[in-house]
Amino acid sequence: MIGSRPNNGWAIWLTFALGLLLSVAPMPAFMEIGRPLWLALFISYWTLYLPHRVGMGSAWLLGVAADVLYGTLLGQNALVLTLVAFLILLLQQRLRMFPMWQQSLVLLVVLGLSQLVQLWLNVLSGSPPPPTLPFLLPVLVSALLWPWMFVALRSLRLRLQVN
Amino acid sequence: MRLLALVVLSVALMVVDARLEVLKPVRSQLGLVLSPFYWLAEVPVRLWERTTEQFTSRSTLMAENEKLQAEVLLMQRRLQKLAALTEQNVRLRELLNSSALVDDEVLAAELIGVDPNPYTHRILIDKGEKDGVFLGQPVLDARGLMGQVVEVMPYTARVLLLTDSTHSIPVQVNRNGLRAVASGTGNPERLELRHVADTADIKEGDLLVSSGLGQRFPSGYPVATVKEVIHDSGQPFAIVRAVPTAALNRSRYLLLVFTDRRTPEQRANDSAIAAEEAGESAPAPLKPNRGTAAPDAANGANTPTEAPAAAPAAPAPAAPAEGARQ
Repeated sequence: MIGSRPNNGWAIWLTFALGLLLSVAPMPAFMEIGRPLWLALFISYWTLYLPHRVGMGSAWLLGVAADVLYGTLLGQNALVLTLVAFLILLLQQRLRMFPMWQQSLVLLVVLGLSQLVQLWLNVLSGSPPPPTLPFLLPVLVSALLWPWMFVALRSLRLRLQVN
Repeated sequence: MRLLALVVLSVALMVVDARLEVLKPVRSQLGLVLSPFYWLAEVPVRLWERTTEQFTSRSTLMAENEKLQAEVLLMQRRLQKLAALTEQNVRLRELLNSSALVDDEVLAAELIGVDPNPYTHRILIDKGEKDGVFLGQPVLDARGLMGQVVEVMPYTARVLLLTDSTHSIPVQVNRNGLRAVASGTGNPERLELRHVADTADIKEGDLLVSSGLGQRFPSGYPVATVKEVIHDSGQPFAIVRAVPTAALNRSRYLLLVFTDRRTPEQRANDSAIAAEEAGESAPAPLKPNRGTAAPDAANGANTPTEAPAAAPAAPAPAAPAEGARQ
């Protein structure tokens, strides 16, 4: 599988575009604090199953795009997403063997770490610290969302023979 | 190894972006490519609004029309009074030798996106560098000040709202002119006045208007109304909470204000030049007159007492250019 010809790579970038779209989509105010970390979820899936196509480089590029979109410091989301991709790549061999709920649990930790880095960078760049516990709510939502994301993206990958 | 390289790269980017201006153009160009995402994400909302518009009943429309007409009537009555008052104000200001402008030019803009981060209050509007939007430009809605432009992209701009916890605005109480600084709290319905003495004459219901002291916001626009004043003997200052008059999280149409950003000296110089040009073009046959008119205007620019009298003339030549933006 590894080293075979790239196939339907556009589908990956399409899902990234979808992720960017979802991460700025308007939401009711009470749901806003629990907005899932869409980009991190998409990055996790693709680095987990196609590590030879999507890795830290793509994560970084996507992060820069997110920075421009959000108006945060250039490089902030890039750093966070690179970190997510790195951790997933590190755990990739084991993570692929895990049942779904265990994957979700590991993702909870990985995304939690990334969100803490995000919080740290936010405060470092001058904005007053938001309440820490609600700040971690998106992580929980994302972890709960993972099984559905997984099923949807796997069917997309198998149908289009993305490689 | 790759992680290290990318992390170093990100950190370097962050530092450069925070400290230097080098990355601003890169950012604005990337923003040009990426801001359609905000537009796209709003499409369902827009579609929904359009369909509801299509299907509103005739009676609702007529009722709305009636209400609007009544409102127009009210506004026009106020406007009649206002014209006289403005004239009077200009004359009084001339007497006072003050050259403050009475009216500002505005440009209407539409909201196209809200910052996804719930802990910051920023919005995206559909006017950018190409429309003359500049950094720090004040933004209003129909009811009061909303915030200021913090990032300009070619066709869009980002606006920081008054209630963002990193934002503060100099205000004064409309009733007695008491000055204060209103800071955002991160709550879209609340501003707090910093360092107001316990004995200060400020009470519930007072209107706070911008004082123009920060040189960023034009003076005299409503900012907030005081909601509560708490005197706590344990605190060095009174706790004053206010509610923004602008509908910060509801307004869809905003106004960008173009104030006269020239210093008084520049203003006097410009008016002198304008006077000279007027003297040049009007009496065409009286050529020798030109020589005498110019020194007069130059004197006007040098002596401060003369300058304000000429100043109200200055906005007039500039007006058509600004008006064209609307």
